[in-house]
Amino acid sequence: MTADQSVATARSDESAETVVEVRDVSRSFGDLSVLEDVSFSVEAGSVACLVGPNGSGKTTLLRILAGLLSPDDGTVSVTGEAGRAVGYLAQQPVFRSQFTVRETIAFYGRLVDAETDVAAILDRVGLSTVAGRRVGALSGGMMRLLGLAQATVGDPPVLVLDEPSSGLDPMMTRRITDVIAGLRQDGDAVLLATHDLRSVERIADEVLVLGRGELVASAPPETVLEETGTATLEDALEKLAGDDGGVQAGIRGGDAA
Amino acid sequence: MSSVRRAGEVAQREFLTVLRTPTLLALAAGYVFLLTAVAWLSVAGTYIALVLDLLTPVEVLVPILAFAFGYRAILGDRESGELETVRTYPVSRVSYVGGVYLGRAVAVLAAVLAGLVAAALFVPFSSGRDLSFTATHATVDSPVLYLRFVFLTAAFALVVLALAILVSAAARSSRGGLALGVGAVVALLVGFDSAILTTLAGGFVSGDSLTALLALSPNSAFRSLVFVTTLAPTGASVPEGPAALVATVGLAGWAVVAITAATFVVWNA
Repeated sequence: MTADQSVATARSDESAETVVEVRDVSRSFGDLSVLEDVSFSVEAGSVACLVGPNGSGKTTLLRILAGLLSPDDGTVSVTGEAGRAVGYLAQQPVFRSQFTVRETIAFYGRLVDAETDVAAILDRVGLSTVAGRRVGALSGGMMRLLGLAQATVGDPPVLVLDEPSSGLDPMMTRRITDVIAGLRQDGDAVLLATHDLRSVERIADEVLVLGRGELVASAPPETVLEETGTATLEDALEKLAGDDGGVQAGIRGGDAA
Repeated sequence: MSSVRRAGEVAQREFLTVLRTPTLLALAAGYVFLLTAVAWLSVAGTYIALVLDLLTPVEVLVPILAFAFGYRAILGDRESGELETVRTYPVSRVSYVGGVYLGRAVAVLAAVLAGLVAAALFVPFSSGRDLSFTATHATVDSPVLYLRFVFLTAAFALVVLALAILVSAAARSSRGGLALGVGAVVALLVGFDSAILTTLAGGFVSGDSLTALLALSPNSAFRSLVFVTTLAPTGASVPEGPAALVATVGLAGWAVVAITAATFVVWNA
């Protein structure tokens, strides 16, 4: 199969529209196979949480979705407007320390649209009060919020967030979770990788479990719990893609495979 | 939005970054101070003599300045991860590299020109020395000749900056970028000329080819152009070098190849 990554130009207002379609994606780095035949889809107005042990291929998959890496095999289709189809938040977002928060978002805004409403973007993530502060003076949590604000510039229909709340205190984690919930309410599709399973339980419409580069589960959180016979996602994750890397089961949309 | 406009946005960010980086401002100030000091100490008295006094310092200082301004331009974004963020926007590699080069070029040119203008201010106020040892027609000294030197120095700075941007685009780490940058500056200052001389001494090329080969070294090409366009018109005896056209093509070639290569590797490195 030829590797292909395409961005369609039509965007529908239907809330249940599939906006991300990943089919049989594989990716290797040298001899190391990181992703193997990964397939799933994400609908508009939903949050899909990608979980799995370190090294399971989460970041690689997100980078492929963001267009930063090409798959060796398989296809990734993102339905969105011409322009910026995918907003991306890196694991450790860093911006030039010489600029203010407002200037940073304004710069990215001008890359997509001269009419970007910087104030509205900052307001959405709660950074309005520090808009004039230099980026170099931001805390780690605020930097993450700035990264989140940057990801929404250009109003992309799909947001790909790599561990948006890792290393943050519970209050900041809650704030970021609230922002993500707001994005879902606005009809955006959010795909995020995280180790914060409590946040997953709170906001995920779909849980995608990666183990050894294979997608071992793709279902709503309650279905994952039900099918694995566990009480928490932590236990479910341990069962599905534990430290031994063993793939215990396959769950797709609520049906054990 | 057009690619040109996006390049303009990137350029503006680069220029402001330089303006807001104290280390680079201090370096630019040091460069201006050194050129001014050379002009003051030389008590040149004439523009032609000032060109002669400034030529070697400029050959050394401009590459250092240009590399300092350029070698982290893209590398910094790569190391911080912001380059990946930029890549998720509809910005082509040509727009990005072109914008980075343009923004840094404005900053480098401002510093280079400030130094040369500051140095030139000493000429009208100094008593000067006898010009007869550099030119047979002392009366031809003119600010126009100095302006040619300024123009050539600006062009030289742009060529070296292009090489610095290539280093910045190709390097994967600060240490690697610094090593590449220092290596490139050393190559510019002594490496290329030494290689050409070694080639000549080894009998690999004939003496007749030497002048053309000198056009392959940015510093030699710049020096030759200064001799041909600034000193030769005064009747001064200048060392034999590549023809002006050949030297110009040599310099332009370095700039074009460097920026093209930077554009090619910027997303891949």
